[in-house]
Amino acid sequence: MSQPIVALDDVSLTLTSRAGPVEILRDVSLHVEGGQSLAIVGPSGSGKTSLLMVVAGLERVSSGGVRVAGHDLTALDEDKLALARGADIGIVFQSFHLVPTMTALENVALPLEFAGTSNAFEIARALLDEVGLAPRVDHFPAQLSGGEQQRVAIARALSRQPKLILADEPTGNLDSQTGKNVVDLLFGLQRRRDATLMLVTHDLRVAAACGRTIHMADGRINNETEARAAS
Amino acid sequence: MTAEALSPTPDVQEWRLPRLLGIAARELRSGLSGFRIFIACVALGVTVITGVGAVSDALRAGFERQGEAILGGDATLSRMHVRSKGAERAALSNLGTLSETATMRTMARRTDGSDQALAELKIVDANYPLVGAVELGNAVPLQEALRRGAIVDPILLERLGLNVGDYMKLGAKKVEISGTIKSEPDGIADRLTYGPRVLVSLETLEKTGLVRPGTLIRWRYALKLDPDRSATVEKLLALRERIGSDLPESGFTIRDRRDPSPQVSQVLERLRQFLTLIGLTALLVGGVGVANAVATFIDKRRKVIATMKSIGATSRMVLVVFLAQIALVTVIGIAVGLLLGILLPIVLNALYGDIVPIQAEITVSALSILSAAVYGFAVAMLFTVWPLGSVERVSASVLFRDEVAPERTWPRAWVVGATIALALALVAFALATSDSKRIALYFCGGLVVMFAVFIALGTAVTWVARRVPRPRLPELSLAIGNLGAPGGLTRSVVLSLGAGLSLLVAVALADASLVKELRERLPVRSPDYFVLDIPKAEYPAITALVQGEVPGTVVEDAPMLRGRLVRLNGTPVEQIKAPPEAQWVLNGDRGLSYSDTVPEGSKVKAGEWWEADYAGQPLVSFEVELAQKLGLKLGDTVTVNILGRNVTARIANLREVKWESLAINFVMVFSPNTLKGAPHNLLATISLPPGTPMVTEAQVVRTLGRAYPSVTAIRVRDVLDAFNAVFTKVMTAIRVAGSVTLLAGALVLAGALATAQRRRILEAVILKTLGATRRRILTSHVLEYVLLAAVTALFAVALGSIAAWIAVTEVMKIPFSFSLSAVALALLLSTGLVLLFGGAGTWAVLRAPAVPFLRSE
Repeated sequence: MSQPIVALDDVSLTLTSRAGPVEILRDVSLHVEGGQSLAIVGPSGSGKTSLLMVVAGLERVSSGGVRVAGHDLTALDEDKLALARGADIGIVFQSFHLVPTMTALENVALPLEFAGTSNAFEIARALLDEVGLAPRVDHFPAQLSGGEQQRVAIARALSRQPKLILADEPTGNLDSQTGKNVVDLLFGLQRRRDATLMLVTHDLRVAAACGRTIHMADGRINNETEARAAS
Repeated sequence: MTAEALSPTPDVQEWRLPRLLGIAARELRSGLSGFRIFIACVALGVTVITGVGAVSDALRAGFERQGEAILGGDATLSRMHVRSKGAERAALSNLGTLSETATMRTMARRTDGSDQALAELKIVDANYPLVGAVELGNAVPLQEALRRGAIVDPILLERLGLNVGDYMKLGAKKVEISGTIKSEPDGIADRLTYGPRVLVSLETLEKTGLVRPGTLIRWRYALKLDPDRSATVEKLLALRERIGSDLPESGFTIRDRRDPSPQVSQVLERLRQFLTLIGLTALLVGGVGVANAVATFIDKRRKVIATMKSIGATSRMVLVVFLAQIALVTVIGIAVGLLLGILLPIVLNALYGDIVPIQAEITVSALSILSAAVYGFAVAMLFTVWPLGSVERVSASVLFRDEVAPERTWPRAWVVGATIALALALVAFALATSDSKRIALYFCGGLVVMFAVFIALGTAVTWVARRVPRPRLPELSLAIGNLGAPGGLTRSVVLSLGAGLSLLVAVALADASLVKELRERLPVRSPDYFVLDIPKAEYPAITALVQGEVPGTVVEDAPMLRGRLVRLNGTPVEQIKAPPEAQWVLNGDRGLSYSDTVPEGSKVKAGEWWEADYAGQPLVSFEVELAQKLGLKLGDTVTVNILGRNVTARIANLREVKWESLAINFVMVFSPNTLKGAPHNLLATISLPPGTPMVTEAQVVRTLGRAYPSVTAIRVRDVLDAFNAVFTKVMTAIRVAGSVTLLAGALVLAGALATAQRRRILEAVILKTLGATRRRILTSHVLEYVLLAAVTALFAVALGSIAAWIAVTEVMKIPFSFSLSAVALALLLSTGLVLLFGGAGTWAVLRAPAVPFLRSE
């Protein structure tokens, strides 16, 4: 059997607040194979986003093992984590987080430029074309609708052909029709690139479109369902 | 083509800097609005430094360009007492076209002896002037006017109540006033003048009988090497060499058109260096504004930074992007500052050009521009590194959930290291570009202490405000709460305003001490008159005359010649690199004297005074401080050219001299056998009994003038006034430069208030919704500002006083005196500035409608 792209083993995350330590994740173990799509669902405060942040290398675990795309994230420093993210992980945020002073094209080219890719703008232009934004490449985020901004964000997340795409409520700030379009695009791209997709969502229809769904409550994975049709 | 077909090349190891700079430029598209204060702070400091450099360059260039006119030729040779004659004169004539002139001080009197005035007599030959022209007030050719009599400065006519065509007395001779001087081409090449100019011919001088052996007269020989054009530098160098080899013992001081007056050049250079240090202070105070602007900028960009990190940018890449942006903004600030600084001499020249005796050439040297740019960049970076270091602490996780303000932590080692390195580089640059390392070092030390004190004070005020029990008065309670609030104004205001005020207090107090020393203290213990050129034989009669007119008058005398130091321990003085504060001893001629006892007001610090009838090898007593600076010790030799011959004497003792007593004193006092043979006159001081009325004083001097026409009396108060006039101008320049520091402080204050404005408006809106009246909010703001201004001003006064005390007692070596008005002014300025800027902010706060703010939150 091939190595899983995400391997969390007995991961615990405890954060310190003024009121004392708070256990965010408790002994979470999760393996995700390459090419899979996985939805993380659960009530607010159950640890969904924290789990995603641990996989993205943005949150350091208190204990347990985290291997993502062949990297042992617990052993990397801040800068090596950033490089690993750049190379193998694409992130899509609920609030898009485009750089407001840069055009759609420049936003998509940015990760490629950080990586020193020579044809960054060519790749970015082709990606924007693929997400249906060819006529909007020179628009600034403020000149784009929410759905368009999220499509730019998806193009940016995919620009370096990551093995793993992480999405945090990608439709949370969009109306239902736009949300559906964005989800279709995301899944389409994931399948075409044979990438792995992990997303946090409250939308059960989005979750149902994923091959696997894990339910979280109180920092633990409560149960897991597998949608035969999707996977 | 699809994106999949275009595969990004992973880990391309190309040089990424240009790419990161491109990203920086794109990211900066939102504009420079957040950087206005930043740019203003950098521009202000750079303007001062460039402006000081440019003004000094313009004066210097004017000086060099007009060097020939100022000197009256390509080069001049001058010496005291001895006129060039015979073979030497012939040798001089062979060098080029020659013009002989001489200058001396004398009394110009009404023919009836009823009034007299000190005059700066200039004797000129038929070739004068070789360069330029003397402009006369009346349409008479120069030589014709000289043939008839004397051409005088109109001020002299006013002082003596005479007109052109009247007669006056110079020495024993009645001379017709044949014209008035409008301008004199080589006027400023002469030393500091105390009286109006009188021009006469050599023939007239001979008739006056003013020149006798030992008379203090400076003979000057101007040379024009090529009749039609300025001599080349090679020719000037060759000339110097030729004089050195042909006339080795002549004792001439040689000047050439490249630097017509080394003293003036030196004064200009010292003033430039000092004002540059003051400009640096303004820049450093503005640095607080830079730091605030960068901190706010980074704070506003936290999400962008986090986004960059989430898509693969390392902290270093993000740092480069933001550092590039700040560097670009710094360059804009520097460019604005350089432009304004370069314009400064043009503006000053247009406004005040006619009060400067030389025509300024509008030019600015690359060195001035470079040093201002280096200072600007180094200071901006010094204050940028620390807040920029926080980029590293921004975590990409802020994109997922809101973070509370992160705890203040000690920055990473590289941040501290880079800050220290930049600070040291600045100190090194300041030291390297200052001739007086001691003053530069004191200055830098003072700045470090000042910053440390005000940073500590800001922290202390915040700390106290957080812990002090809240008073029952709600306005005061609110004010104290604001003083202690995180992200409040306290730290930046205390630092920026405190630093600006300290400097201003220091300058004001140093100024006050100097003025007091000059105006009030000196006359109490200093003599009233210096009397020059008293023939030895006439001294007892003069003393009797003065003491007969005003009983109780003290007359003291000393033999006086003038001579030039030519060698120290056999090394020619031209080859000696003396510290700037001792250089004057080696430039030009000095008063020399001899005595068989230790002179009044002196104390032997090392060695022994010679016996009364000492007859051995020539001995000299040297002033102890100058000896140390020139590296001279007991037993060393000094060679002085007196009356055209070199005399070498051994240092027998070192003397401490109280110069400020204004008693007769000399750097060098020789054993009597060294100089007794040389013809010389006496110099005397007259100290009238305290309370002598002005009328009596004038009467004594008139009587003295009538009886001894060749004797010149200089009123000490006039000398001090002449010095004061120059001193006032210098102090004005220093005050203006010092005020710029306060302006920088005000800018920082405005910036800090603007940053805090949104928080303050929100606070006011909440208070309003809770029932606070506008008056109550206003009162709380006024209380906050007054408390802040008072604490800052108090410390600024303390620190400024200490700085002034050190400058006055250690550097200037005069007693320190405190000025209450200077302190009151500081307090007033501080409160005024804070209330002005704060008041403007409060006005906006009070006018802000509540609803939009409450909704947007």
